[in-house]
Amino acid sequence: MSGTTSDTAGLGGAARRFDVAPYVLLVPLLLVAFVLSLWIGRTSTGPMLGFGDPGVAGPVLVEIRMPRTLLALLVGGTLGLAGAALQGLLRNPLAEPGLLGASSGAALGAVLVFYFGLAAADSVVLPLGGVAGSVAALGLLYGLAGRRADLVTVVLAGIAINALAAALTSLALNFAPSPYAALEILFWMLGSLADRSVVHVLLALPLMLPGWLLIGAAARGLDALTLGEDAAASLGFPPARTQWLVIGGTALSVGAAVAVTGVVGFVGLVVPHMLRPWVGHHPRRLLVPCFVAGATLTLLADVAIRMMPPGPELKLGVVTALIGAPFFLQLILRHGREGNL
Amino acid sequence: MSPRGRALGVLAVGTAAAAVVAALLIGGSPGARSSTEGPAPERADTAVPLHAARPRAPAGPRGGSSLPTVASINLCTDQLVLHVADPSQIVTLSWLAADPEESTLAEDAARYPLNYGSAEEILRFDPDVVIAGSYTNSFTRALLRDLGLTVVDIEPASSLDDIETHVRQVARAIGRIERGEELVREMRARIARHRQRLDSSPVATVVVRPGGFTVEAPSLAHELMTLAGLRNLPAERGLDRWGSLSVETLLHHPPELLVFATYRGGDASLANAVLAHPAIERIAARAVTAAVPASMWSCGLPNSLDAVARLERAADEARRARAHASHRSASARTLR
Repeated sequence: MSGTTSDTAGLGGAARRFDVAPYVLLVPLLLVAFVLSLWIGRTSTGPMLGFGDPGVAGPVLVEIRMPRTLLALLVGGTLGLAGAALQGLLRNPLAEPGLLGASSGAALGAVLVFYFGLAAADSVVLPLGGVAGSVAALGLLYGLAGRRADLVTVVLAGIAINALAAALTSLALNFAPSPYAALEILFWMLGSLADRSVVHVLLALPLMLPGWLLIGAAARGLDALTLGEDAAASLGFPPARTQWLVIGGTALSVGAAVAVTGVVGFVGLVVPHMLRPWVGHHPRRLLVPCFVAGATLTLLADVAIRMMPPGPELKLGVVTALIGAPFFLQLILRHGREGNL
Repeated sequence: MSPRGRALGVLAVGTAAAAVVAALLIGGSPGARSSTEGPAPERADTAVPLHAARPRAPAGPRGGSSLPTVASINLCTDQLVLHVADPSQIVTLSWLAADPEESTLAEDAARYPLNYGSAEEILRFDPDVVIAGSYTNSFTRALLRDLGLTVVDIEPASSLDDIETHVRQVARAIGRIERGEELVREMRARIARHRQRLDSSPVATVVVRPGGFTVEAPSLAHELMTLAGLRNLPAERGLDRWGSLSVETLLHHPPELLVFATYRGGDASLANAVLAHPAIERIAARAVTAAVPASMWSCGLPNSLDAVARLERAADEARRARAHASHRSASARTLR
């Protein structure tokens, strides 16, 4: 008993203490983004502040803006969380939720639904297809990499699954039943929160929650992994267990996210980098702040979409990449000068 | 790669497959439902009283009219609505409808408020009926249905018969059955006139659409070509769906007539893209060329038959060129 205590203490005395500092800024920012997302709508003449005509204010807030805002929060949070966990697990700053094939599997699943023309029938079938695709990708990864495989094998298997899913997606595009279907597939793959309803929140949340919990359960293991696989194992955190907790959690939560919004890039990659200089390099201490920051970033990106001048809505994935890429570049250049990433 | 790992993998793939099947099954029933929903007469008939009960301010331009108001969020349904609806019924059309490069009725459409197809926008227009394309805006359509609006989905037209069906669907949904029947009668009369005019020697034709695509068969565009007395060469080569035009097809089957579906001033660039090949340049130089705006091919509408009239004129020109050429070769023989 005393042995375990000293072990965890050995992972850094701060690990036990709840670190309030990052939340002092992150949580108010999240709240501001949340309120903005509810407050700002979009009509044919461009952005609209408030709810307008009292006759429709209720439905606009409750059935249109609230589900969209909640989904932005859940999806962004999931991407941030999964990004932090994967970068910790792989000890690679380039890791992101798309790496393991969960996103592309989900995309393929949803695209197949489009292909069979079912998305036209019901907007719930599409996310179900996405979830199925993500679970299939995970299953394939597990089958390919095995239970005790090393990380390199897992990452290579992930890359192979990504490539396969991308190829099959292109195949489906090629044989799409009509050019209209192909266009819808392309648009969907750019990611969007437009006109999602509470149905989609209820569809995603039950899959995201266990996913988050799995990643959370891996937190200590991730911290231990920073000392190396052998050290982690000797501390009572077998790397294989940590690995599959993170991979399973990512597949569930990111798969559910991609299933309802399409592919939203860059959030999972950028957010951990934004927070590291600030929160430190312990994966465990990064997880929750990354969730909050990912949610905030996604909410703000979605608000930015609605602030654009009149026209068809920009796609969320486009905006997150537009915001994320320059920031990431600047980060890389700064780190490059300082000599570490 | 332990056997156990593999077994677990297989299990997961199996679960996923089961989920896909479940998704397909769930998809099947709403699919069946939706086919009876919008278009079916019993449903469309109830649409008006249902929404008349909804509290709504008497809208200005409608005056005392009891016709349901209509919003459209798809380029093709915009134009169908413009054909079928009374102007006082239309509360909004999608923004593409007012773009002369996309729409055949851009001027008409520009008179109405335009939308970009989001649920919040449409809700603010407070329409009785929303007409949408069955492939686009699936999330928006679902959300609008959740919000209690009547949404009618119209499939993309793939034949002349489809146009009649769609005109009638829209007419029923917005209480303009008479107008719908009138449009169908006019169309049938026009089609009959074109059929009578059909020549026994169809003109071998290749249509070049934006992006180097051509006309697939069966399709609405193919029917329009046939009705104008054209042979669709790429389709005869067994090309189906929305295949792109291959240089080889053109080489093996030099057309008498090349029709360009012009789009956004892309006249020259389109021609260049496809005709850049030196072999094609020679063939194209010998063919009669004609231009029909891409907007006339993209949707199934009563005025899709306008394209037939244009194609007929091009076919006549190609036949004159053919007669001229055979006359020339005949006189060349006599000289020899």
